[in-house]
Amino acid sequence: MSNLLRTFENEVQLAALAFMGLVYALRLVWIFRFRVGRERTVAVGREGAGTGYSLMNIAMPWAMESTRTHPGRYLEFVVLHLGIAAAIAASFIIPYGPGLFETAWVRGIFRAFIAAAGLAGLARLARRLTNPVLREISSPDDYFSLVFLIVWLAAGVLALPDRPAAGEGPLLAFFGLTAFLLVYVPFSKIGHYLYYPFSRIYLGRTLGHRGAWPPAAAKSAGAGPARKGAA
Amino acid sequence: MSRRTKSPSGVIDAPLDVAAQAKAREEGRPSVRDGRLKTYEPGANVGRFLELLGRRVSRPLAVSLTACVHCGRCAESCHYFLARPDDPTMTPVWKADQIRKIFKRHVDWTGRVAPWWAKAGTPDGDEDLNRLKNVVFGACSACRRCTFNCPMGVDTALLVRFTRGLLTELGIVPEGVFNVSRDQWETGNQMAVTETDFLETIEWMRDDLRAELGPGADIPVDRPDCDILYTINPREIKFDPRSIAHAARIFHAAGASWTLPKWGWDQTNFGLFSGDDALGAYVSRNLYEAAERLRARRIVISECGHGYRSTRWEGYTWSGYDQKLPTESIVAVLRRYLEEGRIVVDPGRNLEPVTFHDSCNIARSGDLVEEPRQVLRRVCADFREMHPNRQENFCCTGGGGLLAMAEYRPLRLEAGKVKAEQLKATEAALVCTMCHNCIDGLGDVIKHYHLPMRVVQVLELVSRALVLPAGS
Repeated sequence: MSNLLRTFENEVQLAALAFMGLVYALRLVWIFRFRVGRERTVAVGREGAGTGYSLMNIAMPWAMESTRTHPGRYLEFVVLHLGIAAAIAASFIIPYGPGLFETAWVRGIFRAFIAAAGLAGLARLARRLTNPVLREISSPDDYFSLVFLIVWLAAGVLALPDRPAAGEGPLLAFFGLTAFLLVYVPFSKIGHYLYYPFSRIYLGRTLGHRGAWPPAAAKSAGAGPARKGAA
Repeated sequence: MSRRTKSPSGVIDAPLDVAAQAKAREEGRPSVRDGRLKTYEPGANVGRFLELLGRRVSRPLAVSLTACVHCGRCAESCHYFLARPDDPTMTPVWKADQIRKIFKRHVDWTGRVAPWWAKAGTPDGDEDLNRLKNVVFGACSACRRCTFNCPMGVDTALLVRFTRGLLTELGIVPEGVFNVSRDQWETGNQMAVTETDFLETIEWMRDDLRAELGPGADIPVDRPDCDILYTINPREIKFDPRSIAHAARIFHAAGASWTLPKWGWDQTNFGLFSGDDALGAYVSRNLYEAAERLRARRIVISECGHGYRSTRWEGYTWSGYDQKLPTESIVAVLRRYLEEGRIVVDPGRNLEPVTFHDSCNIARSGDLVEEPRQVLRRVCADFREMHPNRQENFCCTGGGGLLAMAEYRPLRLEAGKVKAEQLKATEAALVCTMCHNCIDGLGDVIKHYHLPMRVVQVLELVSRALVLPAGS
């Protein structure tokens, strides 16, 4: 292994990771600077249940009409995100647990996930480019993030270490792109996973408090505190 | 604002009409004079808008403004987009982006670094703010259906209300919003019902009730120490007092101890629609204080979607008033009376096929979904669901205060296409709803799409099915 690749796999990745962590920390500080109102009503439902339902909503394709009526899109979402997770895992396994990738079927599974995610990304890009509605709402960041992810996933497929003849090029490309990804993510839409828990928790807490989430049958009592002698 | 996208409806370019505001200033109307109701002044509105934006954003709003990934999954949840599937400006994400881009440019530092990269931007002037007004007031009923269909949990309806609130502070509002806000600020109710009108209408209903049920029947006003403080929609006084009579018949049959307050009776709240939390606080505090003053043990809200949401949920927050009393819908009371056997009903008196329309503010922003169905199954011989229903139901088209904004009516009715299809598929003769806005919204849809049905409320059907004790 060349010094350049070793540096890319270790110091560069760690520096990029540290940078991402720092920006995320600043982002969290920024989010917490905004105030949150105090709830003054008596709960009908349970905030915890509503929050749990809200957070798990994404794993319940039947719960939302938008996923229930488009199972193909939901599958695409799952494939894309699993593939991204596999590529991220690979960027740690290659330098810190290379033994795992010595097993052919493990490499095969990772490669399949990453490749499928790349295809899902391509499908999304095609839709964003051809659908006038999506085109109208898209920003340069939306396009770039998608194109970049596709390229990065392709590099991931090529980088999985079973092709020594290909030399270090694919690995250098993969780790170079991974470092860029780590630095770029907090400034782009790809960083949406940082906001996901917040948006889901606030929505779920409110709707859980009101008894709207999780959807349930009628309540026997839910109007709030009773004054003595109330009918 | 994106100028290259023009809505074919022309709604986005509808001009700002300030004639009513100018008249109110000339007449020295109290709400304008004392600054509670803001009027439009040409000039430094963009600066003021940005200042308010920075000051008022809460954390749930901030995350809804940052979390959107532009996936477009919200589009098909919106009745406006379903009616105009080729018009990107009808998608919830496009509408939310009009405030999101300003937030990104001025509050979110990622948009400040490279605004063009994130499509961040600043309104050029009042013309852009007016276009923003037309988006948030004219092309969204804040029904929250997109919120429920967003994988990220982005609350677009919350963003719309927030933006409406900023524009209300600048007087950049549809004329109808200004007029109704003025009436509610100055008279304590949305329809400027005077105390005399209120008392005379109640007296008229009381006389009718006594003619039917005998001298023991009553519609009490300002009676202290009752179990129930019953609060109503001014539309009931102005246009549909029979709904008060229906409630009175049922309370009489159940032997309930109840009263209307002489002041603080309006459970509706235009602050929910205009985004004006101060108005929201004023109206809801009137009501909570009426309950305290009369030492009522429970606040009961007549059938009204936004009134229920405002009084039961949002009003306590707006007014900084910790909830002390049970606060519930009349429909929950009806269900309890039926369960406890306090009223007896005969479903044979409601033989027409009945379907139920869930009010957005009750089903998606509140908690009553099964209760009205349980009541309707007891009082109707043929109850049938419309599809989709419950939290997935489509707006009646009249939500978000749109009934008060005449300039957006053509687009609103066009967007009612999906509602019309829902209604038609039920083949019901009656569509029941527990919301006064929905009565008018559905009524407009029924008329516009020539549907052979009529709108009723739960109270009317229960009252019709009510079996009164012998001798009543």
